[in-house]
Amino acid sequence: MGRLKFTLAGVLAITILITGCGKGENEKNQQIARNKDEIVMAIGSEPEGGFDPCTGWGRYGSPLFQSTLVKTDKDMNIVNDIATNYTVSEDNTVWVFDIRDDAYFTDGEKVTADDVVFTFNTAKNSGSIVDLTSMASVWAIDEDTVKFTLSYPQSAFIYTVAGTGIVPEHLYSESYGENPVGSGPYVLKQWDKGQQIILEANENYYGDIPNIKKVTILFMTEDSAFVATKSGQLDLAITTSNYADTNIDGMKAVSLKSIDNRGITLPVLPDSGEKTKDGYKIGNNVTSDVAVRRALSYGIDRNALVDSVLNGYGTPAYIECDGMPWGSENAFVEYDVEKAKKILEDAGWVDTNGDGIREKNGLNCEFKLFYNAGDSVRQALSVAVSQEAEELGIKIVLEGASWDIIDKEMYSSAVLMGWGAQNPLETYLLYHSDNVAKDYYNPESYTSDVVDYYINSAMMENDTEKANELWKKVQWDGSTGVSTEGDCPWVWLVNVDHIYYIRDGLDIGEQKIHPHGHAWPIVSNLEDWKWE
Amino acid sequence: MSKRRTFFGILAFLFIISALLVGILIPDELINADFTVKNMPPSLDHIFGTDWLGRDMFLRTIKGLSLSIVIGMASSLISVLIAVILGMIAGSFPKYFDSLISLVIDLLMGIPHIVLLILISFAVSRGFKGVFIGIALTHWTSLARVVRGEVLQIRNEHYIKVSRKMGKSSFWIMKNHILPFVVPQAIVGGILLFPHAILHESSVTFLGFGLSPETPAIGIILSESMRYIATGYWWLAFFPGAMLVVTVILFDILGDFVKSLIVRE
Amino acid sequence: MKILKYTLKKFIRMIILIVAVTISSFFLVTASPIDPVQSYVESGVAVSSEQREEIADYWGLNDTKTERFKSWFTKAIKGDMGQSLIYRRPVLSVIGEKFKASLVLMAMAWIISGVLGFTLGMVMGIFNGKPVDKIIKSVCIFLSSTPSFWLGMVFLIVFSVKLAWFPIGLSVPIGVSSEEVTIFQRMHHAILPALTLGFASFSNIALHTRVKIKEIMDSDYVLFAKARGESFLNIINRHIIRNAIIPAITLQFASISEIFGGSVLAEQVFSYTGLGQATVEAGIRGDIPLLLGIAIISSIFVFFGNFIADILYNTLDPRIRIGGIENE
Repeated sequence: MGRLKFTLAGVLAITILITGCGKGENEKNQQIARNKDEIVMAIGSEPEGGFDPCTGWGRYGSPLFQSTLVKTDKDMNIVNDIATNYTVSEDNTVWVFDIRDDAYFTDGEKVTADDVVFTFNTAKNSGSIVDLTSMASVWAIDEDTVKFTLSYPQSAFIYTVAGTGIVPEHLYSESYGENPVGSGPYVLKQWDKGQQIILEANENYYGDIPNIKKVTILFMTEDSAFVATKSGQLDLAITTSNYADTNIDGMKAVSLKSIDNRGITLPVLPDSGEKTKDGYKIGNNVTSDVAVRRALSYGIDRNALVDSVLNGYGTPAYIECDGMPWGSENAFVEYDVEKAKKILEDAGWVDTNGDGIREKNGLNCEFKLFYNAGDSVRQALSVAVSQEAEELGIKIVLEGASWDIIDKEMYSSAVLMGWGAQNPLETYLLYHSDNVAKDYYNPESYTSDVVDYYINSAMMENDTEKANELWKKVQWDGSTGVSTEGDCPWVWLVNVDHIYYIRDGLDIGEQKIHPHGHAWPIVSNLEDWKWE
Repeated sequence: MSKRRTFFGILAFLFIISALLVGILIPDELINADFTVKNMPPSLDHIFGTDWLGRDMFLRTIKGLSLSIVIGMASSLISVLIAVILGMIAGSFPKYFDSLISLVIDLLMGIPHIVLLILISFAVSRGFKGVFIGIALTHWTSLARVVRGEVLQIRNEHYIKVSRKMGKSSFWIMKNHILPFVVPQAIVGGILLFPHAILHESSVTFLGFGLSPETPAIGIILSESMRYIATGYWWLAFFPGAMLVVTVILFDILGDFVKSLIVRE
Repeated sequence: MKILKYTLKKFIRMIILIVAVTISSFFLVTASPIDPVQSYVESGVAVSSEQREEIADYWGLNDTKTERFKSWFTKAIKGDMGQSLIYRRPVLSVIGEKFKASLVLMAMAWIISGVLGFTLGMVMGIFNGKPVDKIIKSVCIFLSSTPSFWLGMVFLIVFSVKLAWFPIGLSVPIGVSSEEVTIFQRMHHAILPALTLGFASFSNIALHTRVKIKEIMDSDYVLFAKARGESFLNIINRHIIRNAIIPAITLQFASISEIFGGSVLAEQVFSYTGLGQATVEAGIRGDIPLLLGIAIISSIFVFFGNFIADILYNTLDPRIRIGGIENE
């Protein structure tokens, strides 16, 4: 009996030795054996709903498996993809697209106007985040022509079109997202839930066939990705400022400019017992005082945030679209602690009992700030902001939580969120009174007739230059707006760079300015990537 | 032998009390984030190093320990109460309640402990409540068994039968004869429960089912430090865990010491 | 005959417990204010109204609690435990797949803890009082005071980061498709978690074995054997092991519950995609069907282990069998 046990132990020991020694070999082989037409990368979150454009896949970058009617190039200009041409009526309500006749789904069927119509109708009815509320109807005029009619003018509609991949009507079902057949540059070969997807180049693609034939995308957290990168198993990995300063052989930490921003939304209504339709509390008696919000915006050293929290990988943000053609320079404010304190004092917030927190009418200047618990950068930003606020006499109580808890609290507490899009539609989504408490937009319940007016005008304006001027007025028109000196429903903090570890020799083409979302924007031009 | 035990027992007690008090008394400013001293290895200024927000790990660890001690003690207390009450009932009324209570005990011991904690935490939608209730409701089983055994034994003693013959009610017997025997066991059992409670509390918070990331609970400190293991910042994981082990061992020593004081075998 | 009767009795008790677990788990899980439809939506998927109906139907959200339980139970017995919200597959299929991965881990840990526990316990018992005994005993006490996940992290730091002997987590190598993974690769990834688990659980067995061995060493028949001049090794083989092995094996089977619980933590530390990790995911993301399924299946597993332990203990130990004493 004892002999048996000892033998077992011996076998175990030998196994450990063998597999322990064998490891080194395996690793090296993996690195060398990777062909120059394959890559392995870790870019973060797995799309929960699958790869279905009708439920939101591909809005922030190329849908990879599907084609879109048009797309944006690296300078944010609209170029054709499946469409060969499009016209838009004077008042921006009727859009007509002509489709190319050499686009085929990977099952051999031709892409027709019916597929486009089907796609947009399905997307509209899916109840997901794809926003097609402006679309009144879409028809196939003939096999190669599609006509969209909007219920109100929206010049930004073209951007929504650019973000919607076309699905095959004849193959679509509820489980399409698990097995997405499309006409795009790549085919989904394998999906190991929770781990990875493997893509292969579409040899029948109507455009340039991708150089990289096999792409493995792993879903890992930032720390696991770092580990894998360090052991040489990845060609590209997302990373954050916390990890970016390590030297790794054969890899370089590259930081790409983005308009991915972080800011704090603060409820602008006082707490009067109102609730949302799901029963969540609305309003906050402290943040509803614009003096508190404005003081915060003046009293936070954004440059220090960039330097110490982001390790330099970012830029200060004063509005959600800094640097974009529709962003106003008037949103900029100087860091001024004294001014912040004065704003609070003038509004009646004074520390009467010496505890370091200001009061007004018996109410402490105190509120909760929620942030997504899994994100180290958001945590760091929240901590830094709360400490700076303390200097001003404002007490911010932090709470890291999951999104399902934040969902319930965001109408009555401050939340650290991120946005950033390559089109001004986001300004509409964030500030227009139509969008109060819609999805994650406008949880602060902000409304302003003046701002609504500018947004509506901008969306109806055909001329891009004129439209941009109107968008800028949303931020500041001389007397009011959403920026700090105006109503200040948001205190924007920073734009975060997107940092990636990239293997030497991998050419990722010309990258557009990344929107919100660390992961998928970088592969929006995957078909152009190649090894040098 | 007993001199050594006394010495270490008292030492353990002092250490635990000081950790508890120091942890509570440390003002929050001292563990504030300071981005200029991020990620520093152990040094004279920061004996346990600093984390990625520049917070001093030593003070955070002490705070975390005191939090764990408080939660551990509070939930153990409740567990002990449940154990004593149920154990006594099971032992005193074997006909009706014993099989029922034994069934519940087997049930609770059958579901893997962590799974049970996750279930309970889930049922009360997580957070501090979940951790506390979970631990309080699941640790009473072994002690209850012991109490029950004790009660069963005593019941057969002669003087109990005499009491009953003299017309004393069951409750009176429980209170005046049985309880005095059970209490010392309960106290010792309770103290020995603390380490388990603390370990389980840190496990559950490590998994993410409990307190929010700001609280310096040891489980949270450890789960966050997991993310930086690969970068070589080993001190983030090593020291807090080591201190937890030390605390647990100290409680064991304390328990032994109290046992030697109270229980006369 | 007595044995059969005893076995049957224990078996029935096991069934009762399993049913009790099922009922209590169901009520625990549905007591949560988390609405199953709501969490489906929150997992990021757009839900059409037909889907909402389906989900509401499956969970019987409109009936009373007992009705809901009855209807769920009838479906569950037939094997339909619903769809996992996270993995969007039938719960049983998810559990089956993850279980296979965890089984490798748990089996390895089980063997390690059994072998180490028994051998070390023997050493301690035989050399009772000597320095070897004291040292190993201290190690055991240290280990049983250590949170298993911290032990795992220390292993991770030493063996994976500093020495790079083992991969830093996951259950299969990166970028390799599931067909291409070899058994050796799987074992390679499972070794550190298994070691962690094994180390965290062997001390209990070791300490119990130690006491048992001490008893045996002091017993009469060992004295006789020594007096008869039997060699040390012979004594070990013939008397000690034979008598100590049974309680040890019993403990082994009873430790299944601990091994499973430990695997939840170990898998989290090493990002090992097994059943333990799935449990955590299910709990955090509110995947009620999966959580319920795992709770029940794991309990069945544990109860079965205890059942076997009970049977073994009462049938193999001749003293008890003859005396007919039941042990709790």
